[in-house]
Amino acid sequence: MNTPQTSASALEKSNLTLGYMPLTDALPLLAAQHQGCFQQAGLNVTLQQEVSWANIRDKLIVGHVDAAQMLAPMLLTTHLGVGSLKKPMYAPIALARNGNALTISNALAEELQLTDIASRDASQIARQLLTVIQQRRRQQNARLVFAVVFPFSVHNLLLRDWLAGADIHPDNDIDLVVLPPSQMVDHLRLQHIDGFFAGAPWNSVAIQQGVGQCLLPATRLWDKAPDKVLGVRRDWANTHPNTLIALTRAIQQGGRWCHEHPQQAASLLADILEQPLQTILPALSGEFIYKQGDAAVAIKDMLMLQPEVAAAAEHAHGEWFLSQMLRWGWIDPDTNIPAVARECFAGDRFRDNHITHQSGS
Amino acid sequence: MLNPDTEQPLTRRHRLLQSGIMSSNNLSPDAGKPLSQQTTRIMLVDDQPARAALLEQALSDIGCTVVACLETAQGLMKRVEEHQPDVIFIDIDSPDRDMLEHMTVLNQHNPKPVIMFSDEDDTLTIEKAMRAGVSAYVVDGLQASRIKSIMDVAVARFREFQALRSELEKTRNQLADRRILDEAKALLMKQKNLTEEEAYHAIRKLAMDRSQRMVDVARNIISVMNLLND
Repeated sequence: MNTPQTSASALEKSNLTLGYMPLTDALPLLAAQHQGCFQQAGLNVTLQQEVSWANIRDKLIVGHVDAAQMLAPMLLTTHLGVGSLKKPMYAPIALARNGNALTISNALAEELQLTDIASRDASQIARQLLTVIQQRRRQQNARLVFAVVFPFSVHNLLLRDWLAGADIHPDNDIDLVVLPPSQMVDHLRLQHIDGFFAGAPWNSVAIQQGVGQCLLPATRLWDKAPDKVLGVRRDWANTHPNTLIALTRAIQQGGRWCHEHPQQAASLLADILEQPLQTILPALSGEFIYKQGDAAVAIKDMLMLQPEVAAAAEHAHGEWFLSQMLRWGWIDPDTNIPAVARECFAGDRFRDNHITHQSGS
Repeated sequence: MLNPDTEQPLTRRHRLLQSGIMSSNNLSPDAGKPLSQQTTRIMLVDDQPARAALLEQALSDIGCTVVACLETAQGLMKRVEEHQPDVIFIDIDSPDRDMLEHMTVLNQHNPKPVIMFSDEDDTLTIEKAMRAGVSAYVVDGLQASRIKSIMDVAVARFREFQALRSELEKTRNQLADRRILDEAKALLMKQKNLTEEEAYHAIRKLAMDRSQRMVDVARNIISVMNLLND
């Protein structure tokens, strides 16, 4: 068993600042702090809540934070210098799988004329959406506006891929805008947008306030899809190898605690987000409500925080993100996709087998 | 839906901004003058009206014109098109930064330099950020004396970067790609009896299905068609 003394003695740095966004998949970090996992590892961690992904990235680049919750595609574009200063980056672990959903306004739901949405498959829904888009065009009505959380996000890439599959061009046939996750519900209520694709808890917040309804949990598009990672600068990873191991291990302990204590994890987050507990719970319990007044539907693996599933920052995921960004012309066509994915994503190198085994016993 | 100018996906914003290029107010009467003598047109995004007023005053004191002051970035695109600012100022702690990034990053046509300001007195961060060249530059404590020089550096660097980028892209892609796409369209129109729009859509659909760039699909079409015709 590790004592704080032995692990602390090997640490290159023990006072760390971590950046995060107020989202359910920040829970492994929040729980690691709350449950004393950082402290046990000899780390004195300050968690710093940020208001934008751009801020998280910039603060990582200049070293204002040591590590941060990051959108996996954004870590790759930072590494490549797309849309920001080029800075070699590294994702030792991922934080979560799944958790996202597309929520639309009640007006659009009516326009779609889809009954029993929960049982429809994604391509069927996309075809119906295409019909609405064509109708609107014929009647010269306004184009649909969907919001995502950041251009370089799994949300944007999944949504675009789904639309394109139904021959809906995501740039020409609808308008895609970027909004902070916490503002999605208000903009939907004010009819600035017709729908948004974002992570927990913001879908449930919109649904439970009666502002919109869920059209598609992202598990329907890609089950166990990767999303956020822990991001550090490559040079930081190189100069802090022991700290990185201690840090990633503590965060995985946090993730495991959340998985085993969904109720307690939900109330921890409810306090931090200042949202009612019942909006936080669905993602963690998998008891999801599509629309106000409906009965809860069980969605398997709605959000996965357990490290044995979620923690590997898989190369294949990096390759998918990069190939999608290439498809849309956002990165240089000469990018060596497999090489970049391997440089940036650690695979399961930092996944804590000790924790996996313990949980299996 | 047809976009004849480029194969890159364009958003409505891009088109709005492109049309902005055509409008006369983009050509400032000062365009030829050195930077220091021009009236810089500024758009301000700040949710704290009191602070925004202070900054606006400071900016006009140094001869800049604040053409618009927004509390949030909502509707930013339209306002940018309307007012054609030279520079956008935004609070570093604004949640609207991601929205602004979306516009500045994926907009190949009429990007604007973005300057972030902060009233945190954190000199170290600011210096580091400036040295690293992060997104833009930070105006500390809103000191009027420093705004002008920071802005001039930011704008000059931005223009340098844009010139470099557009030069690179132009020589690399534009003409060649356009010609290939046109050739493939012409072949499809002739041999498959399609209209120009149908030919364009066919190529676009193929490109999307195969996750390829349109120009690559066009290149394939040309080689296959030539093979069949030989």
